[in-house]
Amino acid sequence: MTKLSRYLLAPLMATLLGSATYAQEMTDVGTPRNETLIVQTFDGKTANPDSQNPFNLYAIWRGFRELGWSFLWEMDTATGKSYPELAAGPVEVLNDAHTQFRIKIRPGVYWSDGVELTADDFIYTLDTAKKYKDKLNFVAGYVNYVKSWTKVDNYTFDVETTNPAYDVQTVLGVYTWGSQFTPAPKHIFEKQGDNVVTFNNAPAVTLGPYKIKEYDPNGFWQLWELRDDWQRSGWGNSGTPQAKYVLYKDFGAEETRTLAFVQNKYDIDTFMSPDSIAAAKARNPLIESFSKTFPYHDMNDACSYGIYINQQKAPYDKAEVRWALALSVDLKTVGLSALSGQFKAAAMPLSDTPITNPVFYKPLESFLEGLTLADGYKPFDPTFGQQMVDALKAQGTPENELPSGDAIKQGFGAGWWKFDPAEAEKLMASVGMKKGADGFYTMPDGSPFVVDLVFPSDWNKVMQRVGFSIADSWKKAGFNVNARQVDAGEHGTVGNTNSKFNVELQWNNTCVYNVNWLNGWRSFSADNVKPVDSSDALSGNYLRVTDPEIFKLVADSQKLPTEDPQFAENGRSIIKKLTEGMQEINLMNIPTTIPTNSAYWTNYPKQDNFYAAPYTWWSSFKKTILNIKATGKQ
Amino acid sequence: MGIIQYVAKRVGVYLAVLLIGLTITFFLPRLMPANPIEAYISQLQSRANGTLTPEAIASMRASLEDLYGLNGNIFVQYVSFLKRVILQFDFGPSFAFYPQPVNTMILGALPWTLGLLLISTVLAWIIGNLVGLVAGYFHTKRSATVLELVGILLYPVPYYILAVSLILLLAYVIPIFPLSPTFPVGAMTPAKFGMVLYNSILPALTLVLAGFGWNILSMKALAVATTEEPYATYARLKGASNWTRMTRYVFRNAMLPQVTALALSLGTVFNGAILTEILFSYPGVGLIMRTAASSGDYNVLYGAITISIIAVATAGLVIDLFYPLLDPRIRHQ
Repeated sequence: MTKLSRYLLAPLMATLLGSATYAQEMTDVGTPRNETLIVQTFDGKTANPDSQNPFNLYAIWRGFRELGWSFLWEMDTATGKSYPELAAGPVEVLNDAHTQFRIKIRPGVYWSDGVELTADDFIYTLDTAKKYKDKLNFVAGYVNYVKSWTKVDNYTFDVETTNPAYDVQTVLGVYTWGSQFTPAPKHIFEKQGDNVVTFNNAPAVTLGPYKIKEYDPNGFWQLWELRDDWQRSGWGNSGTPQAKYVLYKDFGAEETRTLAFVQNKYDIDTFMSPDSIAAAKARNPLIESFSKTFPYHDMNDACSYGIYINQQKAPYDKAEVRWALALSVDLKTVGLSALSGQFKAAAMPLSDTPITNPVFYKPLESFLEGLTLADGYKPFDPTFGQQMVDALKAQGTPENELPSGDAIKQGFGAGWWKFDPAEAEKLMASVGMKKGADGFYTMPDGSPFVVDLVFPSDWNKVMQRVGFSIADSWKKAGFNVNARQVDAGEHGTVGNTNSKFNVELQWNNTCVYNVNWLNGWRSFSADNVKPVDSSDALSGNYLRVTDPEIFKLVADSQKLPTEDPQFAENGRSIIKKLTEGMQEINLMNIPTTIPTNSAYWTNYPKQDNFYAAPYTWWSSFKKTILNIKATGKQ
Repeated sequence: MGIIQYVAKRVGVYLAVLLIGLTITFFLPRLMPANPIEAYISQLQSRANGTLTPEAIASMRASLEDLYGLNGNIFVQYVSFLKRVILQFDFGPSFAFYPQPVNTMILGALPWTLGLLLISTVLAWIIGNLVGLVAGYFHTKRSATVLELVGILLYPVPYYILAVSLILLLAYVIPIFPLSPTFPVGAMTPAKFGMVLYNSILPALTLVLAGFGWNILSMKALAVATTEEPYATYARLKGASNWTRMTRYVFRNAMLPQVTALALSLGTVFNGAILTEILFSYPGVGLIMRTAASSGDYNVLYGAITISIIAVATAGLVIDLFYPLLDPRIRHQ
């Protein structure tokens, strides 16, 4: 038996252990580990890895926007300013009506198969999107925005927009995460004829400095390799990409991901829970969160989490009820219990980021502090951040990890609404809603009032936890709550169908990334208001705004350049109106957890090194590719 | 009843089960609160940080209804569904991953699911039944109790706990296996096949351990009861050896319900093993079904559930047709 095991088991163990040793130097896909940047995919596994046609919903989270495609204009996510990428400069306005534009592209940009990018590629892309717009499902972002287009020369084309436009660079280019307007290589696609609508385009010919080396047909990973001719790629003029290979891979469930991260198997994670990050950091000092101090994580996403309320439906149509709900949210307890205090409060209906703060939050600080309800009550609490610091200190958080002084506002926000159930009770009483024998509020006619609160199930664990915690907060304050966690499909359906919608945790209508607030709120229009019992889906205005003054501000602003001071002022006016009426109970910036591992690479974007948003699934990830540094570890 | 009547009756029941199953499969996902078009738009909105214009969304909604074939009345859609599935075995495109054909998605995942689950189910059945047989046949001996203890200890452990424990032990503490497997791409070579096997050992081990506890306990109970049957006693009095009595008298009689259980288990492997697939990043049907259910992707659900219904119903039919060969009493009837 001993001999048998020696002959049979020893080689097997040697092979297995040998494989393990080998994997420390080479990646599982056969590239040198120290030349490969490895990131966790945003969506885990994809079901359509072969779909690489930018006209359709391609395998979008596999690095295409970041490494493969290239756009006319890109967004500098450190400053919120648009800059030319494929374009030779800013868009040129050709008429006073702001409907005709000239776009010049840089000569000398080549596709990964060696063919030069020309205006013909853009004209083909627009022609195809228009011709097959009913059969292609990823062209809606621009196909109705432009009315006509013509080639001027090989490197110049003109477009005419359907309406006066001041945001050409952020519609035909990148606003936040990427652009739908992705030029397709005419020399590849034209041969497909009508089959372009089902053409997979795999492996795709790319414009960025990377090309696809291999991808897993099962959808778990995709490997990119730096092009030999990367300098003549779409953003080859921006700097030197540091990694020869970039691997997007799903490392599985959070349990296995965390262990793999501790083992230095990959470099950047996406949306790991704070608990897992803390556990991983405790076991591997090379693992870091976005910030060394609270709230530790990136809080600069374009959208904010909030409680969306169907203001068209009784009793939510009364501002007093909405305010009572807001004053009954104990956000400090919610944040501590659901997020371990790792969040940044935002009282107004947009994120409070370094980009939005100087335009919206800072100028409106005095408005918030002076805001007074009809009964003379001042609901704003500017000490919220300090209270968070005190609470965390009491919980044992080391003082050097807590912000102090002005940094408190940067960390926990400028303040939030008071937690004051007594004032909430007064407001409810003012509209005839009092607590019944069971301690819960009733409708004015004495019938039970139950808040139907919908929020994501475990497909968004942060919102799931926040949802349960808010339900708990409201119940303690006397609101009977039916808390429902739902799948993504139902979440979307509830949120855009009046007949199904009461109260929901959402983010899709509170997305303002920079001064161009119109990109998030252009849907505030009478055309996007449906009857309260309508079962037709809304196409925008998910906040259910019905205020004609807000509609007018939106309409007026569409005729203004975004850099006009009045444009920003109109945005602030809308914010004031939404806040005064508590038309949405905004909660916090979306907390984005992106821990990094510096075993093989360093100089990732961090709070104290914010050269770009740290997201690996935004096209701005290219800045990370240009700025990371190899540690030299073998 | 003649053999032709016997077979015809069972095939008739089989076809009826399939039709009822297909009908339920068609209507059930439509009762889900998720709407595939709204789910898609919501997903897209989220990706666009809410910046798609209302006109763009309205236009997309109209074209998606047309593309997905969701704009006729439900009866027309049902008839079209039956025609496509029965005549062409075509489930159309995935809604969530349009224009990816459902057949391609499922056929891509099935070999992985079957490769893992068929082998681990059969292994768990064989090992569990052998251990259970020995434990049952020698149930008066202390060593048999030890064998039974293995079953008692393993059976109630939730699969998740078992799997994570094994991952911790064999992929982290003693890193013999990968935490997150990477399956090779391209044409299969012996080396790549070896990689696939190596990457599949840990998930297979968890499934075998999770499955064979039940087999031990059920076979042990059957073997104990069978050992005390008069014919087993008669064989002992006749002087038949322990081996003969255990294999030819006890095992042959005790295995009949176990064969039924195995056949039904094999039918259900087409559903995939969602927890295994999630924990081990293993490509299979389970993950596809999960994504489809959360996004209201009717067509993918139709495809996966239909294949599962066919597999389970076929397994039942095969048992019905083969049972008489295994059990002379049924053959006689």
